[in-house]
Order: sequence, then C-alpha cells, then structure tokens
Amino acid sequence: MVKLIDKKNLRVDGRKLDELRPIKLQVGVLKNADGSAYIEWGRNKIMVGVYGPKECHPKHMALPDRALLKCRYHMAPFSVDERKPPQPSRREIELSKIIREALSPAIVLEEFPRTAIEIYVEVLQSDGSSRVASITAASAALADAGIPMRDLVAGCAVGKVDGKIIADVSDIEDKEGEVDLPVAYMPNLDLVTLLQSDGALTKQEFEKAFKLALEKCRFVYDIQRNALLEGFMKAKKEVE
Amino acid sequence: MSAAERKHEFVDSMRREQMLSELSFGRRLDGRKFDDYRPIEIQIGPIVKADGSALVKIGHTTALVGVKVQVGNPFPDTPDEGILTVNADVLPLASPYEEPGPPDEDTIELSRVVDRGIRESHMLDMESLAIIKGKKVYSVFVDVTVLDVDGNLFDAVSYAAVAALATTKHRKAEVKGEEVSLSEERIQLKPKTIPISITTAKIGEYLIIDPDGTEEAVMDARVTFTYDSKGRLCATQKGGTFGFTPAEILKQVDTARLKAAQNRKILEDAIKVAKKK
Amino acid sequence: MGKIQRKFVVPGDLIIRADIRPPPNTYRMGDAIYSLKVGLSEVEGKNIRVIPLAGKYVPRVDDLVIGVVIDLNAFAWIVDINSFFPAYLPASDVFGKRYSPEMIDLSRKFDVGDVILARIATFDRSKDPMLTVSGPKLGRLNSGHLVKISPVKVPRLIGRKGSMSKMIEQATGTRMIIGQNGVVVVTGPPDKIPLAIKSIEMVEREAHLAGLTEDVQNFLSRKLGVKPSTIAPYRGDHE
Repeated sequence: MVKLIDKKNLRVDGRKLDELRPIKLQVGVLKNADGSAYIEWGRNKIMVGVYGPKECHPKHMALPDRALLKCRYHMAPFSVDERKPPQPSRREIELSKIIREALSPAIVLEEFPRTAIEIYVEVLQSDGSSRVASITAASAALADAGIPMRDLVAGCAVGKVDGKIIADVSDIEDKEGEVDLPVAYMPNLDLVTLLQSDGALTKQEFEKAFKLALEKCRFVYDIQRNALLEGFMKAKKEVE
Repeated sequence: MSAAERKHEFVDSMRREQMLSELSFGRRLDGRKFDDYRPIEIQIGPIVKADGSALVKIGHTTALVGVKVQVGNPFPDTPDEGILTVNADVLPLASPYEEPGPPDEDTIELSRVVDRGIRESHMLDMESLAIIKGKKVYSVFVDVTVLDVDGNLFDAVSYAAVAALATTKHRKAEVKGEEVSLSEERIQLKPKTIPISITTAKIGEYLIIDPDGTEEAVMDARVTFTYDSKGRLCATQKGGTFGFTPAEILKQVDTARLKAAQNRKILEDAIKVAKKK
Repeated sequence: MGKIQRKFVVPGDLIIRADIRPPPNTYRMGDAIYSLKVGLSEVEGKNIRVIPLAGKYVPRVDDLVIGVVIDLNAFAWIVDINSFFPAYLPASDVFGKRYSPEMIDLSRKFDVGDVILARIATFDRSKDPMLTVSGPKLGRLNSGHLVKISPVKVPRLIGRKGSMSKMIEQATGTRMIIGQNGVVVVTGPPDKIPLAIKSIEMVEREAHLAGLTEDVQNFLSRKLGVKPSTIAPYRGDHE
C-alpha cells in the first residue's frame, strides 16, 4: 500500500492537504480557432479550441431556438502511462458529455439559433483531475471567442487519501486513494454544474470535501480571470 | 463528439405549466409527493440460463439484468482481482427515440454510473474472485437490457444489477495443475454490501425523486447518489444541462440517504425471499 | 462629461446594481446587471455599456458589409460575410422583381470569388441575412487589398467621426473601405498599402488601450520620416 500522506501531513509531491498544484492558463493560443486556451495544471497539459457560433452540420441536428453545443474530450495516445489507442473510449465518451453539461448552463445558447458551438478538448498529458482542468480551460476559451456567457465555470477535484480530505487530486492519489470528487462551479451564479464522486464518504466527510471544493473553485476562477486579463489587456507592441 | 439530442417526448407548454403549478402545491402530475418512488417491482431469477438475473420495474421503466460468470485473465494492474463488467443496452423497442446500434453517450453514462455504484461500494470482494492469482480469475458480466423507458433508468438498472448479483449462483472453478475448468457445483456470490442509488431531478426550483418520463423531459438537471449499507456515499453523478446550488446538493444528499435505506429494505426483502426458494 | 469608470470585465462580473434594461453584452439578474463578455465596462452614473473585446460579427440591418461570393444558384448569390451564417443577395435586388432565371446567368454580374460591398437588408434569427447592393457605391469592388480584423475593433478603426481611418488614409494616401463585419479593403499607391495595413493591424492589436491615436500617429510619422504633427488626427478625437 502506497503511503500517500507522511507524518508531517504532506502529500507525495510535498503539497499540504488543501494545496493546489501550480496552474498556468493562457488564452488566444491558436490561430484558427475562434477561441482557445492552454492549461498546465500540475503535469496535466490540455489544449482547448472553440469554434462558433457557426453553421450547424449536419443541418437536421440544428435546434430552432438555440445553438447546438458540441463537445469532444479526447486524450492523445501518448498522454498516459500505457499508450491509449486513438479511438474514443467509453470514458472519453462519458467525459465529453459531462464536460458539455458542465459548460452548457453558462452559455447563452438562445442567442444563436440554428448554429453550432464546438468545443474540442485535447489532453496532451494527463495527471489526475483532467476533467476539471479541461472545464476550466474550456470556459476561458469560450470567453476568448467572445461567446456570451453568464459566468465562467471553474473546476477543482477534492478527494480522500489515508483518511484525510485533500484538494486537487493527482493521478497517483486518484489511483491509490479512497475518494475522488470532481466539482465544477459558477461562482457568480452559485451553481454547481459538474459533480461526481467515487469512494466512500460519511455525511460529515462529504460536507467537508464539498465545501472545500467550492472554495478551491473560487480560487481557480481568479486564475481564469487573470488569464483573460493578461490575454486581452497586455499591450502586444511589436517592434516594427 | 457529445451533442445534446432530444431523446424524449416533446412536452408542450400546457403540460409544463400544469406540472409547475402542481409542483408549487407540493404535488406531482401523478399525485406523488416530491420524495415518493413509483411502485417498485422486483422479480429475481427470471432468466434461468443466466447465473443470476433480476427484472426491476419502477413504474413503467423496466430493466432486465443477466449475470454470467466466466473464467478469464486478470488485468495486468490487478493480477489478484476478478473482473467486473457492466454493459447496458437500451433496446429500440423500449422507446421511440432509441435507434439500433452501438451504445450512445447516454447509455454509456448509464453503464458507467451503475458500474461505479457497485464497484466503489465494494459490493463484491474482488480478491475473492481470484482463482489462480495472477493467471486466472472469475470474470463477472453484468448485462443490462432496458425493455421500457419511462424515466429514471439509473435506479431501475442499478437495482436490477444489484439484485441479480446478490442472488448469483455460478459454477465453481476447479484447478487441476495449471488447468482451470468449471465444475457442475455452484457457489454463491456473496455481496459485502447492498449499494442503493437514488436519483433526483431538478425542475425549476423543485427537487423531485424518481422522475418519470414526462418529468425527465422537462427537468433542468439530475443527480444520482449511491450509498452502501453503512449509509456512506459511494458514488455521485450529476447530469443535465443546468446546475444545482450548493445548498440544494447538501440538502438532497441527506434526503437521498434516508430514501436509500428505505429502498434497500425492499431489495433485501426480495433477495431474502428468492434465496429461500 | 461626468467621470467615466472603465474596467476590464469577464463574463459574470457585476457591472452595476440598478433597475435598468440590460444594454448589449450584458444581462440582468435580480436588480443587478452583469457582463456577458470579456470586455471593458464603462459606467457613467446610470449609463453603462460593455465594449466587447472579442466576438463574431452579428448582422444588423443597414450595416455596411464587405463579403465574398462563395456560391450562386438560380435565384441568389451566396455571400460569406464573416459571420456565422452566409448571407443571400437575391437576384431580384439587382435585376428587379420581374427577374426569372432564364433571363440572365447570375455569374455574369457577380461571380464566385468576387468581393462586394453591400448593406444588410434583413436579418432575424430565424432566417439567414439578406443583402442589398442597391445604393450609392455598393456593388463589386474590383481591386484592392482585403484585410480582416476582429469586428469588435471596427469602431476603433473608424474612430470618432472617422478620425482614425481618415488619419491613416491621409498620411498614406490610401483609401479604406471598412465593413462593419470586420472586412476592410485598402486601395491606393502600392508602396503605401503595406503601411496602411500595418496601421490597421496596430489598431486591432491595441484597440482597447489608451494612447492608441498617439501610437498610430508616432508609428506613421516614424515610417514616413515626417513630424508627428503633420499626421494630424481630426479635431475632436480624444482618448
């Protein structure tokens, strides 16, 4: 049994129980996509490209009163320890749906009937909690595209290892730990748009973990805000 | 690619208004209270050719599960553990919105949520399913066939899977040197806990348990909580294109825990009766 | 003029608590107005607006747009106007109501690949936008350099009463036709066109920053080897 928390209450990578891994988020990183973002969250490296609103193909799927939101979460074959075949796995199919449902409440889809908005998430390197990192980057990419949103969606996963509640679950903590609980949250609207858990939690443990997750989502929201500020307001004065 | 597809009836605005009006009085269209389940019917062992089987109806929603236990090779990262595979199939005859073909994202989500409920609650002792450690293990297939869709597939499928597993009697493996064969003797799968899932739908500001087809067609979001026999939350899945406030989550996780205890009794009673036969 | 407070905002940011109708790029929840976009909010008393920093072109009736003909059928030209739907220019707009397909081959008027200056005639969200070329100076643009900028930067490129675009035009001796949809066609002396285009790109990059007029002025003066004061912006244009 791998010991995930040592005597000083520090985790395998030296973090404190409620400490997040370093997060770097940039927007506007792709030329072709209407909006884009790249996030490094611990050793996760995830690229998100957003296209839209655009014409909906196939046409029969277009909705008369709103945009059709499409989302693809995909992991590159080299992104994990054991090479992953390129075809979508059942996990990727479920996560594509979950991520779409986490972002959908934030977007004013009614503004663009009969169009499509496409979100492409590509995990280039995965190290635990990639779904919340993906949602965090995708929100920024949607904002980067100028798509109207009621709020940004920020994500963070909490967990339980060696009986203790922790924030920001890494890959080894997910594999060897007891609980993984990813959350995505819109801080201004006070709405939880993604909530999953696996592993046993008592009532008290769930409450403690859930509240910790919301607190950390607010912290991640600030990172999103700063990334958008940097991306849009920094004077990119080129030497002519 | 995940895209929202309408997989349910189109509810006209008149019925929607009627539903919201009833909800404001604390009632649902079929007269239930917010926390009431529809009648739950459990039949254990209808498929004699399976090692374990159960048919569960919640209202009109009908799920049939057959369990088959075979001998297989363990996964490389869990050499001393058996294998559990949950696969759901919503038949085209079950709903006008189902097409034949490979499972779509909703069905995949259904399979995976039910799987996690069973796996994360440790219902089965996976190590006890090893035959020759590192070489041969029992491989438990839980195959789900949905026969009729009228809301809340998550709970119907989960209860059927749990009831089938809890009453599974499979052929015992015999080891002769390096060879493994299945004898005629049968042994019981012994569940360590009975996981129970409770699904809640959010319609406007109302939280209602066990949504039927019409309620699912208008719901904004749903959340499924699964508890083990000790009342611990073992799996959660929020779905739908809207969200819950933190207060709603905290309230509902408690309400659902109490309902889980009630539904567990129904399942355990059915299992007890079946085992006596 | 009262004190205008300008702030960088992201979707979900609170702009003001006031009982007013939400202006474009904002929404109302309860008694407060929130931003829908990444942009700059300007609050002057109860007058608020949000200038978006990104977003596709949303067609508006009467907007001047520059589009490219990408297809045609018996009844209309289909025109890419850099938005999320293609626009249609009906043959009847050019040939009159009694037009019928046997009368003339549409490609003889505008062919695939042609660049046209048009106005949005109709647009509502249930139909694709319709264009018209009946009006002075509308129709095919025969020559020039086509540049695309983010549509949200067009007001800045035009400037107050055309001050920014006129400054660039006068300094470089070029002419800029600016479509609300972010498409710009530049014509003029070939040696000056690259300079005009670089100026347009500069405006696009720094549209939201203070001191832009001065920056463009200094850039042009440096490149042309003249004093900045000769690159006079129109009077009345301040930051």
